[in-house]
Amino acid sequence: MNVTYAGIELRRVLRDYVSMFFIALLPAFFYVVFGAAQDFSAQRAGNGNVAMYIMISMAAYGAVTATTGVGGMAAVERAQGWGRQLGLTPLADHAYVAVKAFVAVVVAAVPIALIYLVGVLTGAEGEVLAWVLSALVVLLGASVFALYGLVMGLAFRTEAAVSAASGVLVIMGFLGNIFVPLSGTMLAIARFTPLYGYAALARYPVTEGTVPTTDGTLLQEPLWYALANVGVWLTVLALLATWLVRRGRDRQ
Amino acid sequence: MLTNTQPAVEVRDLTKTFRTPGGGTVRAVDGIDLTIRTGEVVAFLGPNGAGKTTTLDMVLGLTEPTAGIVSVFGAPPRRAVTSGRVSAVLQTGGLLRDLSVRETVQLIASTHRHPAGVEEVIERAGLTAIAGRRVAKTSGGEQQRLRFALALLPDPDLIVLDEPTAGMDVSSRRAFWESMHAEADAGRTVVFATHYLEEADAFAQRIVMVAQGRVVADGATAQVRARASGRSVSADLPADPARATRALQVLHRIPGVLEVRTEGRRVHVHAGDSDAVARALLTQLDATALEVTSGSLEAAFLAITGDSPTSLVPTHADLEVLG
Repeated sequence: MNVTYAGIELRRVLRDYVSMFFIALLPAFFYVVFGAAQDFSAQRAGNGNVAMYIMISMAAYGAVTATTGVGGMAAVERAQGWGRQLGLTPLADHAYVAVKAFVAVVVAAVPIALIYLVGVLTGAEGEVLAWVLSALVVLLGASVFALYGLVMGLAFRTEAAVSAASGVLVIMGFLGNIFVPLSGTMLAIARFTPLYGYAALARYPVTEGTVPTTDGTLLQEPLWYALANVGVWLTVLALLATWLVRRGRDRQ
Repeated sequence: MLTNTQPAVEVRDLTKTFRTPGGGTVRAVDGIDLTIRTGEVVAFLGPNGAGKTTTLDMVLGLTEPTAGIVSVFGAPPRRAVTSGRVSAVLQTGGLLRDLSVRETVQLIASTHRHPAGVEEVIERAGLTAIAGRRVAKTSGGEQQRLRFALALLPDPDLIVLDEPTAGMDVSSRRAFWESMHAEADAGRTVVFATHYLEEADAFAQRIVMVAQGRVVADGATAQVRARASGRSVSADLPADPARATRALQVLHRIPGVLEVRTEGRRVHVHAGDSDAVARALLTQLDATALEVTSGSLEAAFLAITGDSPTSLVPTHADLEVLG
């Protein structure tokens, strides 16, 4: 990989303080307010406690905000002429993708590291394996949403569209059972929304499929619900991205 | 060295069509033939929409031709780019606003195999004083110099410039062309697109005029300029329609006449040799109220590229002096 390019790209994202606020500080704040500060945070939940469950949810939200931004800006900067500038260099397309993928993973790791650290300090507890596995799933699963950002950037070609795409993640977060526990019809609908499977999968090392609902009762959900959700959305986004890239090429 | 025997750019019957949203097609480049030898400084002169950018994009491998062949130093354009033999200054856009000038140069340098030194290139493009500044906070002229610095990085044999001085003020325009002169003197081949005849005239040895996707004139700068500049002569023709018609026929036959246009009795003649036109009008054709004005370059340009239905368009062969 082109280390110089990756280094400059990383610096570029990390010094964008407004974006970093939404990627890392806001989800960390959410964790403290909705998780650590609540009375029920110390209650046991599967292989950990409630604080840890909420910590993973917020880390997942921060991580997808990061990858959506990186993916979206990649599409927009190419559409706005940077692609032509790079077209005048020996840099191959796959090398550019490698740089962006690396940057997306590193930036997504920032909220995970910060929120897990705050979790350790504020009473999130769980088995070591649950800590490690959940962090890995949050990081890997977030890459799916780099495709979501890419699709929005390719389709609308403006920075505003990428900001809007990040904003829509808040709605997806509520529908994805990330911010408050859902139940009944809402939960039934939520299972088909893009963040649901990812969040459920990330919390699986703690919950092993147990889903808390609005009134506090617990449901048991098979693992394939989450896997199918992630698989379908990954396929949909990958197909959309491929189609949009082809459409862009045809217009050249 | 192979360099000296191979043309820098060889273009044969190059065509590019675009699909329009309505389902139709637009022929942006319509069968261009062109050979540019190493060391030449060539201006691509044409109005906006003439197909200049599309042609240069195909020379740079940024766009695939619909038909025809492009080779750069005997290789496909993309290979010439990856080996660092060709680089370009593109039109506006194409920079990351949140990087500093130096970071931009470092980034692009990292993609090349044997780049020139970052600080050296910044110096040559006259950017040392603003190297730490964010691109978003630089002027249009400074951004253009930055694109120029990026183009110097691979130490190219051919530099392509697409409207390089667009958005520059007079002094930065002069400074830009001075630094380009230095590059051309160092033996580089330079091809630039412009719609300013003055710029083509001041800097190029050869002008290739393009309109509606075709080459309409190609020759040494002095020749093309002689055709493109010239004066406008206007006068009132005799009231008798038969004599007026004969007068128009005579005017069309005078060498160097580019355009004859009538407005009622008044005739406007655009010509390289305005004296011959004036003499004919006064001595043979009984014209009155004669006026001679220097035509604007814009008007001359329109005349030579044939936008006016009554104009006499010089044929390709007419002006082909280098062929």
